[in-house]
Parts: sequence; structure tokens; C-alpha cells
Amino acid sequence: MFKSLVYIFYFLIFGEIIKYLFDIPIAGNIIAMILIFISLKLKIIKLEDVKPASDQLIKYMVLFFIPYGVGMMAFYDVLKENWIPIIFATLISTVITLYITAGIQQKLEK
Amino acid sequence: MINFFELPVFGFFITILSFYLAQKLKQRFNFILLNPVLISIVGIITLLLLLDINFETYNKGGEYLSFFLSPTIVALGVLFYEKYEKIKSNIKPFLAAVAIGGSISIITVTVLSILLNAPDIITRSLAAKSVTTPIAIEITKITQGIPSITAGVVIAVGIFGNAFGFETLKFLGIKSNTAIGTALGTASHGIGTARAIEIDKLAGAYSGLAMCANGLITAVITPYLVQLLISLL
Repeated sequence: MFKSLVYIFYFLIFGEIIKYLFDIPIAGNIIAMILIFISLKLKIIKLEDVKPASDQLIKYMVLFFIPYGVGMMAFYDVLKENWIPIIFATLISTVITLYITAGIQQKLEK
Repeated sequence: MINFFELPVFGFFITILSFYLAQKLKQRFNFILLNPVLISIVGIITLLLLLDINFETYNKGGEYLSFFLSPTIVALGVLFYEKYEKIKSNIKPFLAAVAIGGSISIITVTVLSILLNAPDIITRSLAAKSVTTPIAIEITKITQGIPSITAGVVIAVGIFGNAFGFETLKFLGIKSNTAIGTALGTASHGIGTARAIEIDKLAGAYSGLAMCANGLITAVITPYLVQLLISLL
């Protein structure tokens, strides 16, 4: 368990270093996510090296973003002023996304 | 008394306590609007308003939990690999569907938001609305929107997909369960995936992989797409 946590943070630091050195507009942790996927795929690291800590983090993932949700209270005025475009843009876009994704998958999968 | 609430243990404790209670509630009454995250957020905001505590004070403890979002994103890469290994065959049409669907999500929400005269900061906060919350928050930091608004919208999109996604797609004439799973994961991330798992196991697997793949694709292209669309319109 502890070894896998070290691995996860090793990739995280590595992603942050790449972001810092090359100033790419992608978050360091996303770079780390891509790198750990590639490393697993190329068998540079083994799944069991990273799985224990990874499973625990994903299990509690929703807990970690609650503070961001609570942060909405600090933007009450912005939300109140813009709730119409927020709701309509999000709703219409979500239905279009669902339909197009399902349509393409259904057409191509056979 | 205000000094007491500034102790990190206060914000930390009410967050884990409310999440624990919200999970208990969900176990007792299995109803979609009782989503534990949604209930926790509403519960904590209500408590803070009642006690007249502002967000900054609460977040002195809350930020210890948010910190773990970063390693969790790395863990999603591991999850992606595991799911990828499961659906290796038939992967190309699947990735095409997710990539096109994911791009359509960013483009339509951004264009609609601009057409509805939303201020730039809102448009920038909505672009990543279809992907899993931790990734969406990171994307919004880069597109310079408000991550907290993104978090709220993403959770709402997930709940919408979970509650109405299946029926909407059936109504629109989609028959394949794996196609419905793919769409739920692409458009409404983990919360939508929870619904796909209820349809059948394979739909759940497609949905989980779609969530991961779209998180990756959206993370890479959103900053460029949003900048382009805002400068064009």
C-alpha cells in the first residue's frame, strides 16, 4: 500500500516538473495521469505496484471534491445572475452529447 | 469564537461527518437526488450560513481534503489502464465515438453559453462539464474559469445523466446498451456510469472506460478549443 502511494506521488511530481519546465497549458496531475497510463501500457511499471493506493484514492474521490462544491457559496451572486445560460447551455449540450456519442457507437460497433 | 472555526479540524470534520451521514441517508432511501456529494454540499453550505461562517474559514480545513484530488487524478490513469485492458477489442470505433462526443460536448456548451450572453468567466467554467469532477476542476483552472462553479455544474450534469440519460436515449431511438453506456460515461462521467452499471455489466464497463477516455481527451483539448471559440464568436 505504502509503496504504491510513493509511486503515485512520484508520477505526480514528475508531471508537475514537466509542466513547470515546459510551461504546457495542461495541469501537472493530468500529465502524470497520461504518463502513468503509458508506463503501465509499456510495462515499465506493474499494475500491482500502483493499484492498492490508486483504488483507495478512487474510492474516496467524491469526498475530495466536496470542498470545491461548498465553494459555490462564495459565488452566489455570479450564479444568481447567470443561472439561465448555465442551465440551458449545460442541459442542451448534455442531451446533444449523449445522442451523438450513442449514435456513433451504435453505428460503428457492429 | 470565530478563531475556533478557523482551526483546520473544523472544516475537515464537518466535511467527513456530512459525507458519512449523506451516505447513510442514501443507503436507507435509494433515490437519485439523495446523491451523497450533493447532500453533503447542501448540508455544509446550510450549516455555514446558519453559523455565519464564510467559505475561506471553512476551507482552512476543507483544503486538506481537496489536496488529495491531485493524486486521485493520477489514480484515474491507473483505472483507465485497467478498463482499457478489458475492452481492447472493438476499441477503435469506441474511441472515435468518445472523442467526437467529448469534443461536441465542449463545443456545444461553449457556443451556447456565448450565444446566451453569459460572461466569459461562466463560459470558461462550463467547458469541461462532461468529465469527472477532479479533472474538470483542473481544466477550469487552466481555462481561467471558477473551479467551484465547474464542480457544481459537473455534479448536476452527472445527476441529470443518471436520472434521465437512459430514458432520453431510448426515446431518441438508441437500442444498443453498450452505446447507451458509452454515451453515459462520455456525457455524465462517474455518476452517469453508476446508472450504466445498473443496465448491465458490459454497459457499465463501456461507460467507465468512456469516462476515463473522455477525461483524458477533454483535458488535452479544452484549453485550446475554448480559447479558439471565444476569440471567434
